[in-house]
Amino acid sequence: MVLFLTGHYPIVHVFCNSVDSTSTSRSDRSTHAAKTPYAMSSDNVSTSTEFSPELRVLRDSNKEEPQLLPKESVQDMAKDVTYICPYIGALRGTLTVTNYRLFFRCMDREPAFVLDLPLGVVSRVEKIGGASSRGEVSYGLVCKDIRNLRFAHKQMEDSLRKSIFEILMKFAFPVSNGLPIFAFEYGQVYPENGWKVYDAQAEYKRQGIPNESWRITKVNDHYEVCDTYPSNLVVPVNIPDEELKRVAAFRAKGRIPVLSWIHPESQATVTRCSQPMVGVNGKRSKDDEKYLQAIMDANAQSHKLFIFDARPSVNAAANKMKGGGYESEDAYQNAELVFLDIHNIHVMRESLRKLKEVVYPNIEESHWLSNLESTHWLEHIKLILAGALRIADKVESGKTSVVVHCSDGWDRTAQLTSLAMLMLDGHYRTIRGFQVLLEKEWLSFGHRFQLRIGHGDKNHTDADRSPVFLQFIDCVWQIARQFPAAFEFNEYFLVTILDHMYSCLFGTFMCNSEQQRVKEELPKKTVSLWAYINSQLEEFTNPLYVNYSNHVLFPVVSMRHLELWVGYYIRWNPRMRPQEPVHQRYKELLAKRAELQKRVEELQRDVTNRSASSTERAGSPTRSITPVQTFV
Amino acid sequence: MFSVKPLKPTFKSYLLPVQTDLKQTPQPPIKKLEAKLLPGEIVVNEVSFVRKCIGADSSHGDLWGKLICTNFKVSFITHDALPKQRFQVANRLLGEHDVPLACVEQVVTVNDAKGKQKVLCSNQKLKFNPTELVLYCKDFRIIRFRFDEAGPQSAKKVCLAIAHYSQPADPQLLFGFEYIGKQYYGSLGERVNGVDPGGGLQMPLFDRPSEWDREIKRTGAAEWRVCSINEGYVVSPSLPEYVVVPVSLADQDLKQYLCFFTAHRIPLWCWNHPNGSALVRMASISDPLQQRKLDQRICSAITKSHPQRSDVLKSDLDKNLPNIQDIQAAFVKVRQICVIEPFEESEEKWLSSMESSRWLEYVRAFLKHSAEVVYLLEGKHVSVILQEEEDRDLSCVVSSLVQLMLDPHFRSLTGFQSLVQKEWVMAGHRFLHRCNHLKKNDKEESPLFQLFLDCVWQIINQYPAAFEFTETYLTVLSDSMWIPVFSTFLFNCPQQRTENSMDFAKSKCIPMGEEKALRFPPVWDWSQQFTPKDQALFNNPMYVGKGATCVQNGTVKSFRRTKKNYSSTLRGMPSSLRNILMDGHDSLTLTRRNSLVPRLKPDFSQIREVVESPTERFFRDWVSRPADLQGMLIPQLLPSHLALWRLYFLRWVPEASIPKGGPVTAYHKLSQLADEVEKLQSQLRQYKGATPASTPTSNPSAPPSDHSRMYFKAGSTHEPSSIPEYLSSSFPFSPVGNMCRRSILGTPLSKFLNGAKTWLSTETLANEAL
Repeated sequence: MVLFLTGHYPIVHVFCNSVDSTSTSRSDRSTHAAKTPYAMSSDNVSTSTEFSPELRVLRDSNKEEPQLLPKESVQDMAKDVTYICPYIGALRGTLTVTNYRLFFRCMDREPAFVLDLPLGVVSRVEKIGGASSRGEVSYGLVCKDIRNLRFAHKQMEDSLRKSIFEILMKFAFPVSNGLPIFAFEYGQVYPENGWKVYDAQAEYKRQGIPNESWRITKVNDHYEVCDTYPSNLVVPVNIPDEELKRVAAFRAKGRIPVLSWIHPESQATVTRCSQPMVGVNGKRSKDDEKYLQAIMDANAQSHKLFIFDARPSVNAAANKMKGGGYESEDAYQNAELVFLDIHNIHVMRESLRKLKEVVYPNIEESHWLSNLESTHWLEHIKLILAGALRIADKVESGKTSVVVHCSDGWDRTAQLTSLAMLMLDGHYRTIRGFQVLLEKEWLSFGHRFQLRIGHGDKNHTDADRSPVFLQFIDCVWQIARQFPAAFEFNEYFLVTILDHMYSCLFGTFMCNSEQQRVKEELPKKTVSLWAYINSQLEEFTNPLYVNYSNHVLFPVVSMRHLELWVGYYIRWNPRMRPQEPVHQRYKELLAKRAELQKRVEELQRDVTNRSASSTERAGSPTRSITPVQTFV
Repeated sequence: MFSVKPLKPTFKSYLLPVQTDLKQTPQPPIKKLEAKLLPGEIVVNEVSFVRKCIGADSSHGDLWGKLICTNFKVSFITHDALPKQRFQVANRLLGEHDVPLACVEQVVTVNDAKGKQKVLCSNQKLKFNPTELVLYCKDFRIIRFRFDEAGPQSAKKVCLAIAHYSQPADPQLLFGFEYIGKQYYGSLGERVNGVDPGGGLQMPLFDRPSEWDREIKRTGAAEWRVCSINEGYVVSPSLPEYVVVPVSLADQDLKQYLCFFTAHRIPLWCWNHPNGSALVRMASISDPLQQRKLDQRICSAITKSHPQRSDVLKSDLDKNLPNIQDIQAAFVKVRQICVIEPFEESEEKWLSSMESSRWLEYVRAFLKHSAEVVYLLEGKHVSVILQEEEDRDLSCVVSSLVQLMLDPHFRSLTGFQSLVQKEWVMAGHRFLHRCNHLKKNDKEESPLFQLFLDCVWQIINQYPAAFEFTETYLTVLSDSMWIPVFSTFLFNCPQQRTENSMDFAKSKCIPMGEEKALRFPPVWDWSQQFTPKDQALFNNPMYVGKGATCVQNGTVKSFRRTKKNYSSTLRGMPSSLRNILMDGHDSLTLTRRNSLVPRLKPDFSQIREVVESPTERFFRDWVSRPADLQGMLIPQLLPSHLALWRLYFLRWVPEASIPKGGPVTAYHKLSQLADEVEKLQSQLRQYKGATPASTPTSNPSAPPSDHSRMYFKAGSTHEPSSIPEYLSSSFPFSPVGNMCRRSILGTPLSKFLNGAKTWLSTETLANEAL
């Protein structure tokens, strides 16, 4: 069955319309959707048109400027700027820069050509060469979302006047220029406060914690034991807080092993931490050893503990030189150490750079697959998924508790625990459950988004930048592709999360840790991405979703099934059609069912009335209709 | 004679469940292990106490039974049930463990004690007693049998028989002849089983002039006519009896021209675009002196048949596309990496191996070339001639793809079948040779039809609601090539069918009467193979067909192929844009008027520089608009958008099977919903039928009888649907017992062959001194 092997979704960012951030066009759509319940609405034709550049243009066809968000203001505007599109060629138009976005509009073309991207996606702006023979200066924008843009404009006659690109530099990198990130200004009000989506205690309660073996400790309430950990930590019952502090001294950055997830039946657990500070001399910590034994003992089903070290063994060994290392099996009785061979952030960054070369702007037709192979991107995806699968399998099939760490426990460890939990627990495959998963495993446990993405920072060569989270989302997409009915959310949901990770419109991905977020008062000063998403859930819902109750997903981690996520990495190519997705057709069928149900009921009523009319003439038709049932 | 001996203690455990049954029923009917035979089928040889291997690495779960070679199939009969719950669609012509002889690609016998193995061919000797038999199948299965407990001589005989009978010396030895002879004609020559096979088919087979006439009318090809100069195959043996030609060409003209064409294959009309442009296929002109003159005559005749007298462009397929040997080589390689090479070892270089097989590259080349022809017909309003040396291979693929892209009729099930009938069977695609049914034309073997099916799959994959049928249908269709009873795949051309039928009838004293050929059923008579319930697996629940309805503004409307509907995709665009599109058309007309494109170009690759940018623009324009599934469909041709057809290539590979996953899980959900919609529609009909006076007698809420198109039925309404256990990405096929690549003699087979990168070649193994 072919169905949706390439279920590409109608991604809003067709062509060069970029992250279209906001309530403007989006709310147009949601009101539209509200009128006709099943958004397939008018007809499939116009729905898909809605995602195409033409129609978007219609909305603001008479304006040279973008529709501004609350607190967004135009900073500069320049006419006669040339956008050198890699697909269409040179386009002349007006460029507007606000404190949030870059907006380019070419009026000469029908339909008008629009480029609308949040400045947050800009990684680098550089002047290319000197003035050309025609007296034009050229600027290149390297973007974080797999695009490069090139503009040119006439050399300013008035040499005192700043080029619009200098203005752009200022607002694209607010952090470097002492300006606030736009998320702190944006004041859109949504019906739901997205910051309330995740409540650590409620989530642990859902898992059945505290219980006889695990307790929630307040030892890190003020982030004193570990400043990159959340305030709520789940630890074995029989380890008092004082011992936790001694364990923290033996783990890198104080990131002690804490519970991420517990199996509802077997009580096998997924715990996460950082590497032990073993060093070249093979230092040991009785407290740490006792602690891991306690984790093992908390699970009566197994007398073994698996320690998954995400790193290649060589890297793990090399970390001993820096005081780190891995658990020796001598010191940790009953523990088995497994290396998962996942490379570090630098290797991943390089792999994505190569991938970008291969997919943007054009694909070399004759060597596509070998070029893709040479980026190793899918190979890395495979290793991450394979690691997560081994963890899920140990917990589910082996009923054995696992400890997961890498070096610091905030990159590869976050990938592994969150993916394993996604396989193990169907709750995380719902829209809200996935939000909880991100808030918990990524945000609260200190994945350093600020550093990895470099929000508002012009230092594009920063070695701390790395697409770790992008890889995770890619892995989620790969699993969803193998189990198209197992996830409540659709591809568009994943793309939206990535786009807004860069856009700096929402506070969700700001800062590096829970402690920083509290300090910056993010929940007070910014809007959460989940507020935006949860205000229009229908956009992000997979209508094929079947609740696999308690079903563990075991994806096939093989190159035979992994694919490049074309709908994300190649979406800028105009030769790519955002496809009529299976979901669209499914929604049409749902609407048709509702319509037919209505008609059947009407006729049913009709027949009843007519047969009744012989006896009772003036009776008005009863309104007792069984409600149209839909399970979207 | 073949009564079951008491089973040996070694496999007693398998009988345990049966014995508990024994207690309940004191007199169990002792079932004999006997082959189920079809009419005309006879047992050649058999051997008992054979073990069929199920798992890859251990004998756990293996089945014990009898291995039988008949003149039709290799049959394995067992009382054992497969260990794991699994699902496989049952074929009416075959048992669960059967392999038709025509599906056997290679017969390998092994004696692991002596460290010997040999590929068996027809009439060969075997100097050792085999302990193991491995059958490599054309549908990619690899099936292993062990003879550890079997009689050595009988085992050897069965192996030799399989090798011999899977390589028939003569087409009439293909099982279909015996089968049809016995099934439809009695021993006295009288007709039995009254009904004609395929007689109830509601689709044209294009063996009658009336069917061509209807197709001419359907496509509005007013200036074309049915020509019967080849009646009785008198002028060309490989052409159908009836062909369609321009009205302006008289039979006399054609008779005069035909000797200049390769194999006397005059141009054949395929299809007409609503704008009047025609798609024509023809063989090359063998006499170079006549070439120019003849070309001009043909082209001017085609031009005259065009309402606007548009140009004719010729596309030389031999120059622009891979040849049949290239395609065969690519297929062998892709099969090698998908099923032969050890799973883990091929993981690392999977992508580059796929690339080096070139299979996807060829799939793309055919799609791309067809899309370019689509542009000429649709965008440039010109007629196109597909030219190929013999017009029997590449042009079958291209002409069918062009029609699939342009005409939604061919995306319905019957439309698709009539397309294959028209462009492949009637046009004389050499199925007998390309399938290599006789196993003696290795150089002629080429999987063109599979390539075509893969191309169709790519379009389905990109436009999942545009086709009435599913990928299961395409896969089953491909598998049917290896069941040698269907008229569709047995012959090189219709004339051969007639000739072979006559010979066979004569030798068997079957009176043919008025009939020209034996009544082989076409593969399209699916009731030959599957129950109506299983045939429902062919139906795509998402199909947006002519009769299908869609929802517009909350009301249900029918899709119609009207101009209005098409232009509705432009609705909402500024009027200036519509003008631009019109201008676009005008400029094309201008181009033609100004004769920038000469009236006749022998090969449009030469004029690429002129047309390339319009082609690209045409595609881009089309892509930027939402697709009308009842209009033209152009596949996305970026290499990143072509995928491996996993169901077809990986369905037997256990490691690649996703339990409770794969596209079928979405199909399941969609089918249930579509079924619910159907049930509501039928309720609606019942109510409408009910007169005011009489309330409907039958309870309308009761589910209507088994008429549903859907394989998966809607469950009870309030019960949440869950995914059935047996669903996997291989569904409705199952890897269990169908892919036993276990190492031979302790080493993987591929290593044993010194890493030979090809499908076990006959030479490699046959040359081994044994």
